[in-house]
Amino acid sequence: MTAGLYVHVPFCLTRCGYCDFNAYAGLGHLAPRYVRGLEAEAALWAGEWRNERFGSVFLGGGTPTTLEARDLAGLLARLRDRFDVAPDAEVTVEANPDTVDQAKLSALLEAGYARLSMGAQSFDPRVLQSLERVHSPGSVRRAYANARAAGCANVNLDLIYGANGETLGSWRRTLEETIALGPEHVSAYALTIEPATPLGRKVQVGLVPPPDPDLQADMFGLACELLGDAGYDHYEVSNWSKPGFECRHNLGYWERRPYLGLGAGAHSYRDGRRWWNVRPPGEYLDMVEDGVRPIGGEEVLTAEDERLEEVFLKLRILEGVASDSVAAETAAAFVDDGLLARRNGHLVPTERGMLLLNELVLALAG
Amino acid sequence: MTETTHIRNFCIVAHIDHGKSTLADRLLELTHAVAEREMRDQYLDKMDLERERGITIKAQAVRLGHQAGGRTYELNLIDTPGHVDFTYEVSRSLAACEGAVLLVDAAQGIEAQTLANYHLARDAGLSIIPVVNKIDLPQADPEETARELGELVGWRPEDVLRVSAKTGEGVTNLIERVIELVPAPQGRREDPLRALIFDSTFDPYRGVVAYVRVKDGVLSSRAKIRLMAANIESEAEECGVFAPEATPAPELGPGEVGYLVTGMKDVHQAKVGDTITIAGRHRAREPLPGYREPTPMVWSGLFPAEGGDYSELREALDKLKLNDAALRYEPETSQALGFGFRCGFLGLLHMDIVKERLEREFGQELIATAPNVEFHVVRDGRVTVVHNPSEMPQPGTYDHVEEPVVLATVITPSEYLGPVLDLCQSRRGELVDMKYLSPERAEVHYHLPLAEIIFDFFDQLKSRTRGYASLDYEHWGYEAADMVRVDVLLHGEPVDAFSSVVHRAKAPQYGRRMVERLRELIPRQLFDVAIQATIGSRVIARETVKAKRKDVLAKCYGGDITRKRKLLEEQKKGKARLRRVGRVDVPQEAFIAALRVDERAGEKR
Repeated sequence: MTAGLYVHVPFCLTRCGYCDFNAYAGLGHLAPRYVRGLEAEAALWAGEWRNERFGSVFLGGGTPTTLEARDLAGLLARLRDRFDVAPDAEVTVEANPDTVDQAKLSALLEAGYARLSMGAQSFDPRVLQSLERVHSPGSVRRAYANARAAGCANVNLDLIYGANGETLGSWRRTLEETIALGPEHVSAYALTIEPATPLGRKVQVGLVPPPDPDLQADMFGLACELLGDAGYDHYEVSNWSKPGFECRHNLGYWERRPYLGLGAGAHSYRDGRRWWNVRPPGEYLDMVEDGVRPIGGEEVLTAEDERLEEVFLKLRILEGVASDSVAAETAAAFVDDGLLARRNGHLVPTERGMLLLNELVLALAG
Repeated sequence: MTETTHIRNFCIVAHIDHGKSTLADRLLELTHAVAEREMRDQYLDKMDLERERGITIKAQAVRLGHQAGGRTYELNLIDTPGHVDFTYEVSRSLAACEGAVLLVDAAQGIEAQTLANYHLARDAGLSIIPVVNKIDLPQADPEETARELGELVGWRPEDVLRVSAKTGEGVTNLIERVIELVPAPQGRREDPLRALIFDSTFDPYRGVVAYVRVKDGVLSSRAKIRLMAANIESEAEECGVFAPEATPAPELGPGEVGYLVTGMKDVHQAKVGDTITIAGRHRAREPLPGYREPTPMVWSGLFPAEGGDYSELREALDKLKLNDAALRYEPETSQALGFGFRCGFLGLLHMDIVKERLEREFGQELIATAPNVEFHVVRDGRVTVVHNPSEMPQPGTYDHVEEPVVLATVITPSEYLGPVLDLCQSRRGELVDMKYLSPERAEVHYHLPLAEIIFDFFDQLKSRTRGYASLDYEHWGYEAADMVRVDVLLHGEPVDAFSSVVHRAKAPQYGRRMVERLRELIPRQLFDVAIQATIGSRVIARETVKAKRKDVLAKCYGGDITRKRKLLEEQKKGKARLRRVGRVDVPQEAFIAALRVDERAGEKR
C-alpha cells in the first residue's frame, strides 16, 4: 500500500468569494522563504516516514504555480531526496490558467510534474464572474493548449456547477466545451456555500440566493450523462476520468491510505491518527525554521470514527462497502430504492445514491 | 365570633376588565384590612400567573371590618373567578354569599359576562347591588350605563351607585349600601354543622386547606369533621379567617367565612361544593344543595417534548392535581408522540393555565395536541364516550354521534350585528333570540357546538367586531351532529396525533388546511411523501413532499475528512431528534406547528 504526499502552497493572486481553503492573497513575498520552509519540514518527517513508499505527490493550494518554476522543480527534487517516492509516482501540480505560460509549463513537465490540474470552473463568463474568478474562458483554452503543446499528457479540468445565475443550458455548454477539449480527467463540484466566506455571508444576508439543490441534482445528472457518453468513467462523487487516468493521489484519501501533508494547514493521516499543521503561513514558517514540527492539532480515531469514515469514504468511490459490514435490512431498502447496487459482495452507490450519500451513510453507519 | 346580624357576605361579579380586582383593593384599603405599605395591586390574586394575566383563577375570601352606626360589621368579600371555564366554581362562591355587587364599566356598558354573572347571582337568590364603575374615565357614560344596568336588575337609574374603584370615589358609600342591602346570614349555632367548601387548595406544609362558609352550627378548630359527598372523616387542625392573611380563630360560627386546615392530604377529597359536618352523632342529615363533580369539557393530549421524560411529566401532573381538583388525566400512547397523557380541562383557559404551570412551575416542555370536545357515540341506544379523536370509530359502525352544545350570549355594537350573525351561522349556530339593549347595542343568543367555540371562535368574534363584542356561554347539552373523523396519513401511515373529529361539511376544508400546512413543515425525505387527509378510506385532500435529491459533500480530500465526519455526527444528532412515523422522519417542530390552533377562544387576550 503506497502513501500520498501532499504539499500545500497557500498563495493566490486574489481570493475567490466561495473558497474557504487555507489561501492568502498578497503574501507572495513569502514565496522563496516558504519553499525553504517546506524543505525544512520535509526533513522533520523524513525519518518517521522513511519506510513508506509514496505513490503520488500532489502540489495543491492555494495556487502552487504562483511559485517560480525553478523553485517548484527544486522542491520536487528535494522531496525525492528525502522520501521514497516511486519512480512511476503520479505527480500533480494545480495551476491557475493565468499563472502558466508555455515556458513555465515546459519547465514543470521537465521537472517531473507530469499531471496538471487546472481550475477552469466554467466556460460561461457570467458564471466565472458570479464565482469572482478573475480568469476568462479564453485564458482556460489558451492554458490548456499551452499544456498540450508543452507535451502534457495528463490534464485535469476542475468545474463548478450551481453558481447563482447558471442555468442547465449554460452548464451543458461548459460540459460540451470541456469534452471538446478532451482532458484525461474532469472534476465537477456542486458549488457549496461555506459560511465563513464572502459568498457565504452574502447568502446569509440574502444578497445572493443559495444554490437550488434540485437544479444542482439536474446538473449532476447532466454531467453523468454527457461525460459518460464521452467515455469518462465516473469513479467518485465529483470525479470522472478516461480509463486508467483516475487520480491516484485522491483515491488514497477515499481508500484510506496514509498521507503526509506538508505546508501551512496541511493534514496528515497514518495509523488511525490524523494531525494538521498550523494554518497561518507566518506561524508555520516560524516553527519549521526553529526545527519544530508545525503541528496545530491532532485526533486519534476511535473505532466508531473509523467505522464512519470507512463507510462515508468508500461509498464515495466504486469500491463501496462490504455488504456484511452494514445493516442488511437498511441496505436492502436502499437497493430496492435504486440508491445502492450490489457488486462482488459490496454495496456501491448508484448515481442517484451518490447525490444522497449523507443520508445513506447515516442510515448505514449511524 | 361575630353575631350573624353583624355579618355581611358578598361578592363582586363583573365582566373581565370592568374593575373587580381594583374595587377589591380599594375595599381592603378603606377598611384598613391591609396596611398601606403592604398594599399591592390585585392583592387577592395570589398566584403570579393570575397577576400577570390579570385574571382570578382561584376564589379567595377576605374579612373586612367596618364601623357604621356605632356598630362593627364583619364583611366577608368572596372573590369569584371571572371566566366561563369556572362557572361551577363561581356558582359555589355565590352560594357562600347573600349579596352580590354587579359591577359594570361606565365606558363599556353591560357585557356578556355581566349578564351571565347576573343570572347566576339571581338564580342563587342573592341581593344584587348594581354599580357603575370607572366614572373617572373621560369616555365614561355613567348615565347610559346606569340606565342599562337599572333596566337589567329592575332599579331606577338614579339609584344605581356610581363609583371609581381607581380613585376611591363612592366606595365608602358602596360599603354602607352593602351593609344596608345585603341580608344578614341565617343559621343557628345550635344546629348540626353544615359548612360549604367553596374552594380548596393544597399547602405543601399543612396539606389540604378548604375555604369554607359556615351555614349552620359551629366549626371549631380541632373538630372531627366529615365531608358528606366524599364520605370521608378527618381531624381538623386549625380554622381561621382571612384578615386578609390567614389568622387562626378558635371557631367559625354561622354565617362566617374562613379557612379550615382539614388534616387531609389529597385535595380531591375536599372538592368544591362539598359539605363539611361534624363526624359522629351530631352530624347533619342533609348536605347543602348544589354539589357536583367537576366535568372536563375540553381534552388534549400532553406529551413530553423531545428529551422530556414521561415519568417526570406524570410526577408534575400528580403535583399539579394537588391543588387543581378539576384536572383529569389518563395515560395515553401515541405512536407519533410516544407516551403521554390525555388530559381533561374545564375549558380552554383552564387548559392553558395547566400547560403554563407545567412549563413554568415544573419545567416541563410539552407538545399538546389540538383540543377537542367529548363526543357521545351512540349505537343501539348505548353511548360510548370518546374524548380522543383517534378513538373515534369509523363511520358505519355506529348509529349517530352527539356533540356538546352551548347557549352562547354575544353582546355587540349594533353596527357589527351582521358579521356576528354571519360568524355564528358559519359555525353551525342556531339563533335563539336577539334583542337591543339600546339602539347602539344588541344581545344575541345562539346555540353553538362547543367544538366550534374552542376553534378560534373568540378571536374571530373579536376581529369581526374590532374587539367590541363580548362572549359568554353555558353548557346546554348534547345534540346529534354529523361528525366524522378525519385522519392524516404520511406515506400511507395514519398519524394519530393529527386525527380530528370535525363536521362532515367542514371536513374537506379542514383536511386541505392540514395537508397544506404539513407540506410546508415536513422535510424532504429520500422518497416522495404523500400527505393525505382521509375520512375512512376516502381521501379528501392530498399533497406531496417531493423526494430530496441532493445531500452530499461535493469535495472530500485530506483536511475535509475530519470536518466531514463531524458534520455527519451533527447530522446524526439532528436525526435522533426526529420522530419516525412509518418511514417518514418528522421534526418535533412540525408536530408543534401543525397542532397549534392559531387562535384561542374564550381567553382574555
